[in-house]
Amino acid sequence: MPELLEVRNAVAGYGSGPAILNGADLDVAPGEIQCIIGPNGAGKSTLMKAITGLLPIRSGEIRLMGERIDRLRPDQILKKGIAFVPQERALFPKMTVRENLRMGGYTIRDEAELKRHIDDVLDRFPILRERAGQHAGTMSGGQQQMLAMARTLIVRPKIVMLDEPSLGLAPMIVQQMFDIMRQLRDSGMTVLLVEQNAVVGLKNADRGTVLDLGRTLFSGPAEDILKDPRVRELYLGKAAA
Amino acid sequence: MLSSILQVLILGLALGGVYALMASGLTLIFGVMRIVNLAHPIMIIAGAFVAYWLFRLYGLDPILAMPIAAAVLFVIGIVLYKLIFEKEAANAKYSEMTVLLTFAVALCADGLLGALFSNTQRVTTPAYGTDAFIFGTIFIPKGQAYAGAISLLVIGTLLAFLNFTRFGAAIRATTQNRAAAQLMGVNVGRVSLITFGIGIALAGAAGALVSFIFSFFPAKHWEWIAILMSLVVLGGMGKLMGAILGAFLLSVIAAFVGTYFGSTWSTMTFFLALFVILLVRPQGLLGDKIEEA
Ligand SMILES: Nc1ncnc2c1ncn2[C@@H]1O[C@H](COP(=O)(O)OP(=O)(O)OP(=O)(O)O)[C@@H](O)[C@H]1O
Ligand SMILES: [Mg+2]
Repeated sequence: MPELLEVRNAVAGYGSGPAILNGADLDVAPGEIQCIIGPNGAGKSTLMKAITGLLPIRSGEIRLMGERIDRLRPDQILKKGIAFVPQERALFPKMTVRENLRMGGYTIRDEAELKRHIDDVLDRFPILRERAGQHAGTMSGGQQQMLAMARTLIVRPKIVMLDEPSLGLAPMIVQQMFDIMRQLRDSGMTVLLVEQNAVVGLKNADRGTVLDLGRTLFSGPAEDILKDPRVRELYLGKAAA
Repeated sequence: MLSSILQVLILGLALGGVYALMASGLTLIFGVMRIVNLAHPIMIIAGAFVAYWLFRLYGLDPILAMPIAAAVLFVIGIVLYKLIFEKEAANAKYSEMTVLLTFAVALCADGLLGALFSNTQRVTTPAYGTDAFIFGTIFIPKGQAYAGAISLLVIGTLLAFLNFTRFGAAIRATTQNRAAAQLMGVNVGRVSLITFGIGIALAGAAGALVSFIFSFFPAKHWEWIAILMSLVVLGGMGKLMGAILGAFLLSVIAAFVGTYFGSTWSTMTFFLALFVILLVRPQGLLGDKIEEA
């Protein structure tokens, strides 16, 4: 199957510090939900930042539909069709919900088109329509995560990347988030997410990739990884240490 | 008695407008780049020199010279950013080192202007510079009234630009969360470059007004560094509305202090205010709680 996104042997680190990614690999197929799991500090967020250009890689390759994107700036990578919600959500707290959504469509210069895209996204997230005038910083954690996710959809990206979307959310809201991800997948989008809770993440995903110490240990169908004894060991081993 | 209070108040507000214009560029630059630009006041002096020479050589009114001073300083700002700050901006050390860099720029520009034009007091003298509006016993120098009104006009234009244009939204987004702005497709390098240029252009515009309400000379920028710092710190670093509010507040207070205790104390007002704010409310009037960025 032709890959949509490929990461090969990526090495990256912060500033002049040590390498955090030590040759990470990743293959994302079009139209799938893929979940990256791994213990705390494994480099999951770092891999996400490398793909989106927030952290330039030191060596290796990142390709989108065969085209190298690892030397591009984040704004250029967004225009190629990769949108990202980082772990801390990165909303503009002093802007209203509507202004945040408008920023999500910053690259859409046609006002009518922007309005239409925002309207479509608001249909998917009715709660945001009710709160269009509220400052993002004053919303609840779940609402903020909804907004962060909604905001990336304005440009109708090929791939939506979500770093720990369930962090700090009530189980019911988490299920709602995953329902939305499945809807997105069914409408042709590709979803790449990081989950701290491996069981919840894999149950809702098509494929999984396991990361530890900045390296890819293995990847495969989500239900296989869920049953893999090595995964259990990885998490229990860390917890016991 | 009442009319003298009113007069001091109006003068304080007029000067406050000019201070607000000075502080707006400084605040804009800090907001987007987290650079405390200690070279801002010398750029104001440079703007004053542009207006001064246009007046001396061609008789051009300093208010009409304002857009030219702004354009010249915009170009200087772009060149400075390209030469000095662009590399720094990509660097992790960023704000700690750039303060020293702006200090070095201030020293060099001060030296250059001093060598070119010497440190003698100068002032442009348009006809309205020595004229006044007189209402009964209230006496308002025209120069200060015009300077205050034009400053407000420029600040209003700046606010409209920030709030109602696409590029303005990019500047606000970058100020609130640089990484998030990048993820929305904002080229923050370009936003930083243009914002730095606009900030320095605003200094140039303020300089043209300064050229006829104060006498100026290159080394005078040292005094203004402290004054400008007190305004932006009072408002909350990087908060444009805060800086504007701080400028009016301190300017009015300084005007009253100057009237009743002498002009030395008028300048001291700013220095004391800077000190007190840092001790009592370091985040300023409109600032958020100090937090790790
Ligand atoms: N901005 C940074 N500067 C320096 N080091 C960092 C930075 N961010 C992360 N690190 C380091 O990189 C390593 C991997 O961090 P990363 O955030 O990628 O892990 P993670 O797998 O996402 O973990 P978690 O599950 O806790 O989110 C950690 O050792 C961390 O200390
Ligand atoms: Mg993480």
